Amino acid sequence: MNTTLVSIVIFNIVMALVVSLVFVPVLVWMERRVAGFIQDRLGPNRCHIGGVRLGGLVQSFADMLKLVFKEDYRPSSVKEKLLFTLSPVIVFVSAYLSFMVIPFADDLVIDDKSYMMQALPIEFGLLWILAFSGLGVYGLMLGGWASNNKYSLLGGIRAAAQAISYEAVMGLSLISMLIVYGSIHLGDMVRFQGELIWGFIPAWGIIIQPVAAILFIITAFAETNRAPFDIAEGESELVGGFHTEYSAMRFGLFFVGEYIAMGAASSLIVTLFLGGYQIPWLNTEVLQEHINIIFIAIVIFTPIVSYIFAQWIRKNNVWLDPNDVRNKETKWLIIGLVCINILIVASLGLFLIYGIGENGTNISVVILQVMTFIVKLLMMNFFFIWVRWTLVRFRYDQLQNLAWKVLLPIAIANVFITGVFVVVLGV
Amino acid sequence: MGIKIVPRYGNSLKEKLYLPAIVGGMKVTFSHFFTNLKDTTKIETLCYPEQLPKDITPRYRGVHRLTKREDDTIKCVACFMCSTACPADCIFIEAIEREDGATEKMPKKFSIDLLECVFCGGCVEACPCDAIRMDTGIFSFVKKKREDFVIDKDTLLSHKPMKGVE
Repeated sequence: MNTTLVSIVIFNIVMALVVSLVFVPVLVWMERRVAGFIQDRLGPNRCHIGGVRLGGLVQSFADMLKLVFKEDYRPSSVKEKLLFTLSPVIVFVSAYLSFMVIPFADDLVIDDKSYMMQALPIEFGLLWILAFSGLGVYGLMLGGWASNNKYSLLGGIRAAAQAISYEAVMGLSLISMLIVYGSIHLGDMVRFQGELIWGFIPAWGIIIQPVAAILFIITAFAETNRAPFDIAEGESELVGGFHTEYSAMRFGLFFVGEYIAMGAASSLIVTLFLGGYQIPWLNTEVLQEHINIIFIAIVIFTPIVSYIFAQWIRKNNVWLDPNDVRNKETKWLIIGLVCINILIVASLGLFLIYGIGENGTNISVVILQVMTFIVKLLMMNFFFIWVRWTLVRFRYDQLQNLAWKVLLPIAIANVFITGVFVVVLGV
Repeated sequence: MGIKIVPRYGNSLKEKLYLPAIVGGMKVTFSHFFTNLKDTTKIETLCYPEQLPKDITPRYRGVHRLTKREDDTIKCVACFMCSTACPADCIFIEAIEREDGATEKMPKKFSIDLLECVFCGGCVEACPCDAIRMDTGIFSFVKKKREDFVIDKDTLLSHKPMKGVE
């Protein structure tokens, strides 16, 4: 065990924690603000700590605290006490564990030794994800059954009906991707997507296999229980569906689990179809070769983007009461932005002047790729939220019709055509 | 009577694919999101405690007030019409003789329990001498104790009519 290995392992585990757990409040905040803006409302923006609102992000922490400190109440009608407690845990753990094999960056080479940038450095990533994301629905089914409540039971039945409709299509759309990539290691898949088709189109999964991408995105919505397939919850007709009887942190685990599952599905979509950590047209080798040009570009563009962002903050982050402490936030945010800019420009300038050596180049490429991955992940999460606030809910027989009669034939045809192409072209 | 043929939708390939319609809907929601993100100040949301509603009309029944004569004395003659008309029995009046000779009686105490009041306006209708009105436009009253919600004569006299009335 040397220090490099230990620090890389710690970095990876911290990254997995950040992207899954720390992102939950951010996603909840994003969901509520985006919903507000889509419906011409403001959304939560009042909660503050000493005047700092961060656009309402503090509200999520307040909500979390409330859930943690609520009374842990279990109705006396619940007979299967173990299952009742276990089901939120299953939802949470299975969503959380599927994050562990997502590659955040290309393999890091330090002193001629390669380290995999995943929290769990295993090479059967896709199977791991399929196993754990499929487990999540058992939590809903068990929770619906154990609650001993008719609404919950209906929710559990719907969850089961949903599971049997999407799983087949999801597996088949993944098979066509496996034929293309020829590997079940997620790192290999992302490296494949760093290449270019005919020299100018990035070989992203969504460009090579658009049908599989659409099928997988649709089934990912069903898998994470998000609208338009949130039929297991069905708050308008089933009160709360499977979580009707849950409160406090038991409900909190369901809630957090839903957002982590959304993040996991988004990161899998990003990894499989949207190029993972790859910056379009700039794969790892290109980045390592031209790291100085990248630094110069960052030094030029960061202040410009920050300036636009600061103008936006100044325009939109106002509080009507001029004496309120919340009005001071704009100043602090802009000072923070300036500090970050000075830090970035100064450190990158030093790197440019003195050079950073081979290890330094590799590490900075990894940092760039991690940032790219996070940006893509947030955009995919935004897509999930955007769809939720646009589309209406499907009935569960409609979902089964869609999955078995429409999506499944398309998926099988797609697998067949992909196979024929691969065999005929001999790629 | 001719036969009206109602066009049926949903049979063309484009409509059966669903995706074009979904993309159209998502365009609409995104345009709303983007315009609001660019300029949040244009959103219609009323930031309540800082911004007060401007659409309270003169007919709005707010918290009551007692009107005054020209010489700034109370107009009420303690006839008990309002408390008789009140469906919630929330008006409590104690009468005494009036010394200045303007009328025979006046209220010594005149209090209204705002927690009981249903804001029906019955007292205003019943008053024979226009002594009680509900045109203050006050819609929010927050107190710390239950007893504080019983407002007395002096408070009722101190309420002003809202802007735009008389």
